[in-house]
Amino acid sequence: MLEVTGMMVFYENALAVNDLSLTVEAGQIVGVIGSNSAGKTTLMNTISGLILDLREKERRKGGERITVMGTVRFEDRDISDLPPHRRAEIGIVLCRERHPVFGDSTVLENLRIAGHLRARAEVKQAMDLTFELFPNLARYKRKKAGFLSGGEQQMLAIGMALVVKPRLLLLDEPLLGLSPAMQTTLVQAIKTVRQETGVTIVIAEQFARPILPMIDFGYVIENGMLTMTGSGQELMDNPEIKSAYFGH
Amino acid sequence: MFEATLIYGLVNSVILALVALGFNLTFGISGVANFAYGAFYVTAGFLTWSGLNQLGLPFGVAAALAVLITALMGALMYRYLLLRLRGLVVSEVIATFGVGLALLELFRYLGFIGFEYTLPVMIDASVDIAGVVVDAQRILIVVVGASLAALLWVFTRHTRTGRAFRAIAQDEHTALTLGINTDRVATISVAFGAGYGAIAAVVILPLGTISVGEGYNVLVNALAVCIVGGLGSTVGVIVASLLIGYAQMITATYVDTHWMMIVSLVAILIILLIKPSGLFGQQKELEERI
Ligand SMILES: Nc1ncnc2c1ncn2[C@@H]1O[C@H](COP(=O)(O)OP(=O)(O)OP(=O)(O)O)[C@@H](O)[C@H]1O
Ligand SMILES: [Mg+2]
Repeated sequence: MLEVTGMMVFYENALAVNDLSLTVEAGQIVGVIGSNSAGKTTLMNTISGLILDLREKERRKGGERITVMGTVRFEDRDISDLPPHRRAEIGIVLCRERHPVFGDSTVLENLRIAGHLRARAEVKQAMDLTFELFPNLARYKRKKAGFLSGGEQQMLAIGMALVVKPRLLLLDEPLLGLSPAMQTTLVQAIKTVRQETGVTIVIAEQFARPILPMIDFGYVIENGMLTMTGSGQELMDNPEIKSAYFGH
Repeated sequence: MFEATLIYGLVNSVILALVALGFNLTFGISGVANFAYGAFYVTAGFLTWSGLNQLGLPFGVAAALAVLITALMGALMYRYLLLRLRGLVVSEVIATFGVGLALLELFRYLGFIGFEYTLPVMIDASVDIAGVVVDAQRILIVVVGASLAALLWVFTRHTRTGRAFRAIAQDEHTALTLGINTDRVATISVAFGAGYGAIAAVVILPLGTISVGEGYNVLVNALAVCIVGGLGSTVGVIVASLLIGYAQMITATYVDTHWMMIVSLVAILIILLIKPSGLFGQQKELEERI
């Protein structure tokens, strides 16, 4: 479904993603595991196309020079040059790290904003699904998203993505800043989303422990480079991963 | 005397709010400070005048056309000039101010100077409010001002484009991930702002003459209201309009009408010294890196 080949991203002369290739099959949950500054966000931005917008804005301002090389193919189509909003149209939806929702808008308004591309009836349906999956959100419909807890904001972000009708859902560090209990809840919710909608998911995370058991396949990256790949089970059994991410 | 100051002060405040609404709208959504705003306002006035007097169109048609053309000019200015400069605030200000100067001085060059450039009032009548005679045009201005503000509120909450306005005002990147074409939405917001300014011109200009100088006055007034209220804040626009509107009216009544424009400039200076972000402005945090 998704094929990233030979991806290289430079910020000025600093290499953030180094010759990275990965494949995602339809229906899978794929993990991208890496510690701080490993290049996860940069990778997610190249898949969602946001990097093109960042590059363009920096270029206009005469700011930072961002260089992107390599190709992104989605369902056998080369989308390397497709702008991010067009990628959302064909079903690639990213929940951004740290600011995935509109803080000044209410929960309902966030979901409606997300329905930009969709017909009213479809939006309603996706909103119902969201409130079914996350009953907590239903209670806070009229609360400003900025006042929700981190976990609730992530749930809202996933709900918003569902409204866009994703075929490929990209989650950038959904567990960041959440309590262990909240992490477990969210992981469960992500699994339910896959079950209910069959959407393909890529999760970038530094917390390997809660993620590995749920993924079909995982890529471990360090300093922008792929260091290990394997099924969730294989990665969990790997001694290096154990020492790096499970503290044994 | 007191009642008159009260009522005419309110009318003056609504005029200021109406004038500032479009400027504030564009800034709040796309972050573009449109310094061609006053020129657009005057353009709408001259376009209406031409439609009426040179093409012989009915007032409603001439006004509607003028509003549409002005909005389109806003869109074109954004699309072909500002898009390249997005994020470079100083360049945006210089570019839009340049467009404004060019337009205004073009009118001067074309000979649009003199007292014959006036627009007719829509209803020639007056009413008596608490012993003060108020003409129908001023009441119309208050009604239009309130309607436009209400319309904007409804629009941003209940239409697709309006919600996209709210989205890009908060976070362009997140908006992009939801499939919102942010460049297009920003273009529409500039067109909307210019259109609002044009509507303001069509209802306010019948009170005086259409002149190049009015373009500068309108820009200064819009800036004063937005800076005092806090750029981008709608509540700020309303409160600042009342403050400056009454201050101007009191100055005009007890000092001299010539000092009215000074009030706006002094208001800008005072607020910049005391609270540079304005009464209701939130100083936006530096956008976090992604
Ligand atoms: N806009 C930018 N300008 C310059 N360098 C950047 C920029 N964004 C990221 N980097 C650098 O690129 C590298 C990869 O960053 P990236 O944000 O992709 O990592 P990450 O894995 O998402 O990290 P985190 O876990 O902190 O979110 C880092 O060294 C980072 O400092
Ligand atoms: Mg990151």
